[in-house]
Amino acid sequence: MKRDEGGVRRRLIAASCALLSASAGRTEEAPNTGVQRALTDWSLDSALAYYHEDGRVQAVEPVVSVSKAYGDGASIGLNLTFDALSGASPNGASPSSTPQTFASPSGKSLTGGKHSYTTAPGDLPEDPHYSDLRAALGVDWTLPLERLLTAGFGAKLSYEDDFYSGSVNASIARDFNQKNTTVSFGASYEADSLHPIGGTPVPLSSYALFEKTGNQSKDGAGLLLNLTQVMSRNWLSEVSLSLDRFTGYLNDPYKIISVIDASGDVRGYIYENRPDSRTRRSVYLDNRVAWERSSTGLSLRYMTDDWGIHSETAQLHLRWWTAERDKYVQPTLRWYRQSAASFYSPWLFDSTAPQLSTASSDSRLAALQALTYGLKYGIKLRDKLGRESSEFNVRIEYYQQTQENRLPGPGTLRGLDLYPDLKAILVQIGFSY
Amino acid sequence: MNRRVLSLFLIIGAAALASGCVSLGVKPWQRDLLSRQDMQLNGNVLDDAIDDHLYFSKEASSGGRSFAGGGCGCN
Repeated sequence: MKRDEGGVRRRLIAASCALLSASAGRTEEAPNTGVQRALTDWSLDSALAYYHEDGRVQAVEPVVSVSKAYGDGASIGLNLTFDALSGASPNGASPSSTPQTFASPSGKSLTGGKHSYTTAPGDLPEDPHYSDLRAALGVDWTLPLERLLTAGFGAKLSYEDDFYSGSVNASIARDFNQKNTTVSFGASYEADSLHPIGGTPVPLSSYALFEKTGNQSKDGAGLLLNLTQVMSRNWLSEVSLSLDRFTGYLNDPYKIISVIDASGDVRGYIYENRPDSRTRRSVYLDNRVAWERSSTGLSLRYMTDDWGIHSETAQLHLRWWTAERDKYVQPTLRWYRQSAASFYSPWLFDSTAPQLSTASSDSRLAALQALTYGLKYGIKLRDKLGRESSEFNVRIEYYQQTQENRLPGPGTLRGLDLYPDLKAILVQIGFSY
Repeated sequence: MNRRVLSLFLIIGAAALASGCVSLGVKPWQRDLLSRQDMQLNGNVLDDAIDDHLYFSKEASSGGRSFAGGGCGCN
């Protein structure tokens, strides 16, 4: 997280466009050189996404994935992702009836010139200088052990200005019933290192004191059990059970909480503190049904954790093909709802704040509901021999998040918009070969 | 007590599912529709990855269909 780097974002867009056009060019030529012949065994998937939140952050995310399938059923895949994020991000404090002055994470005082910012009365406090870069590299390897037994391995490295992450996973899958039933079981491990800009704030310490400590870490392990079943000639079903546990530093080091008095006036701010472990369980169900010129998918997920959060997700998509099966359109609808974490509170009262051991006003831990409307359009491209060789697609999504169970503000907070909706749009172009 | 009842239901459910799965399915030559790209459960890897990243940074839940990363929690 540092000052806006618009130049980096522009370079990412340019590099992504170059990659998209370079891979598109390959389809024009027959594989008459050694390199081209070697490349025909590979498939390439690339996308460039632009994400924009109304009045907040925007991000550019190019992604490239290449994979190669071998004759014996083995495959290897490589995935590269970049992210350039910039804009304004909520700092966790509540709106107030008076102006509020804050410091960016690298600031040492509230009067630090370029490191400070002031939020107008009634507005949601947001750090206007939020910026982050992310690069992630993932590798996947699938290896047949026997005719009905397959092993899978994966590793991922992720780098951000203030966060490094490494993870590995392994799974084994067994086919039954003439390969109509597949059961797989996998395990994963992740180790993360956090290097917050300006240091790690002392949890629950006063924001005005700038008490900071060194780097932090967390790690997690997960288990995933999956059953895939062919139900009929046009119906495929999947159910997954997952369990994971993360321990260590689970705070957002940049989030603070307003401490107010009974009349709603701000008495100060403290840094948040979350429990140092989190265990999540989930059930995921996916169904796909195909017809001659259309298909549909419906997925449902229920997730619960020991922070008191329960969530339900339902996603439906429909795809229609043209008669020539060279173009398709795919609308998507996603609905999501979650309950609040037990330690979530939009603000704290000065009379009770000193007794708390955990607290966060991060709106992502609040009770909320979200809807996503999406539309995707794809064109299949053919090579000189008339074979389907590649696809170009464009996708647009609109996301709206609304908080629920809104606690009314006391005194001077009455009448203020304390829980503004989050509205975002995602535009993505993709090319696969 | 509730836990025992839940376990019993899970065991009975798993047994019913396992016996049901044997009678389900198709012959290898009936997989034309199932082999289509839009019928692959992981057929849109990049769309899923981009969406998951969006939802991970705006909501408290992630993963379910695959391994979920802990992430930095600071976006």
